[in-house]
Amino acid sequence: MAAGKRISCILIDLSGTLHVENQVIAGSIEALDRLRRTNLKLRFVTNTTKESKRLLVDRLNNLGFGVRTEEIFTSLTAAKIMVLKNNIRPMLMLQPEAREDFQDVPTSNPNGVLVGLSPDSFNYQTMNEAFRILGNAGSLIAVHKGRYYKTLEGLSLGPGPFVSALEYATGVEAKVVGKPQSNFFQSALESVDGLADETIMIGDDIRDDIGGAQAIGMRGILVKTGKYREGDESAHGIKPFAVCDKFVDAVDMIIELL
Amino acid sequence: MASSSWLQRGNNRLQGLLLDISGVLYNSGVSGGQAIDGSVEALARLKKAHFPLRLCTNESQCSIDTLVKKLQRLGFNVQEEDIYSPIKAVKSFLIENSLRPHLLVHPDVLDEFVDIDQSNPNCVVIGDATDAFSYAALNEAFTILMNMKQPKLISLGKGRYYQETDGLKLDVGPFSKVLEYACQIEAEVVGKPSKTFFMAALAGFNINPEHFLMIGDDVVSDVGGAQACGLRGVLVRTGKYRPSDENHPQVQPDAVVNNLAQAVDSILQ
Repeated sequence: MAAGKRISCILIDLSGTLHVENQVIAGSIEALDRLRRTNLKLRFVTNTTKESKRLLVDRLNNLGFGVRTEEIFTSLTAAKIMVLKNNIRPMLMLQPEAREDFQDVPTSNPNGVLVGLSPDSFNYQTMNEAFRILGNAGSLIAVHKGRYYKTLEGLSLGPGPFVSALEYATGVEAKVVGKPQSNFFQSALESVDGLADETIMIGDDIRDDIGGAQAIGMRGILVKTGKYREGDESAHGIKPFAVCDKFVDAVDMIIELL
Repeated sequence: MASSSWLQRGNNRLQGLLLDISGVLYNSGVSGGQAIDGSVEALARLKKAHFPLRLCTNESQCSIDTLVKKLQRLGFNVQEEDIYSPIKAVKSFLIENSLRPHLLVHPDVLDEFVDIDQSNPNCVVIGDATDAFSYAALNEAFTILMNMKQPKLISLGKGRYYQETDGLKLDVGPFSKVLEYACQIEAEVVGKPSKTFFMAALAGFNINPEHFLMIGDDVVSDVGGAQACGLRGVLVRTGKYRPSDENHPQVQPDAVVNNLAQAVDSILQ
């Protein structure tokens, strides 16, 4: 363990790390409070393409976590930063709940397309509209390229297939912004004014959380909750800085290291 | 136009023609579309000269009968037997391989499949369904594929887009891609640029592929596809043609002509 190295910033995944659906993972609320009493900078980082920050904050606070909107950094936040940095006026292929985060982004006369999980946009008319914008040298940004997701009724198509369709039609390659992309973690760090080698990422996804964070020099703690499956700690050739049973154990370890 | 080496290649004199329809004869669109300047006369001259030809299309948005009527209304001298389309090809393919399709196709072509068993599907056939490409319909096809031991997707052509009178429209290819990416499979293409399809379009002519020329507005599917089968391939500057097509990294047309009329002038000279 790289003991002795300074720790000044903690990034925390949400779903699967602090809670699973509407259930708090035991000890997480109290552990987060203890973490807050240190001087560490905190950011909650999550891949979502269909929920605004406000919705996420509401959910967390209803579960008993005290979280503020500005502490949340999502793949939509990363998309927004990329769009503004590159003067892209995006056509938003996003569900209404996610559009909320883009209220202050200019979208008239679009010169790019931003794709999230948006069943309402995944149809012939809207795809044609996006295709025409991209054909005009527009940029294509994907919140992520997931193939499908599970619903109560079964499997449903994710944004990946539709991003890939637009790539095929136009020859334009999408820029992907969510975890595990380096630019996601970089922007999250910038938002909290943190340094990669002083940052620890806590998450349940070996590839998206740990692999992505460690690729830019952070340390990753894998928790064995949420989507964690036996053997993940050595999967994808990624070696986590540490593995803990739950968030509360990760917090114990961090406080010990301070 | 380059010298007419595309008309005479060594001793291989040009003896037969495959013509793409959309973007070469006409641009499709609302109220039947629009004939491309000079194409009605050009086709009439070929027919008058009894030049062996077939209209080789990836059209799967309407039935063959509807397509023939549409072309006739625009003034083209076209009969059903002139046309080789993926709808004809896929039906024989389904029957030969005991395949029962789930159809994700345009409502207007469903009738073509009434005599094909569609119960308990063991493949998905995707065509240019246009407005029928809804999230629900794509999801249904996806779910059916995911429930198969070996998902089988058959795509009626794999074109990226085509020109309509009011602009470019997505073709079937991107929507096949949706299912390919989601299921991590590769679709089997019935239509251009598949070799089987080109060969079947030539069948019955008794002319070697080397004596045939394909004229189309799709540099990859028409020109490249035909060349890969030993035919010559000529690109027209109509339909979805874009100047960048002339510098395509993979495909070099045997010639580029302004339109069908110009090609036919040279052919009948």
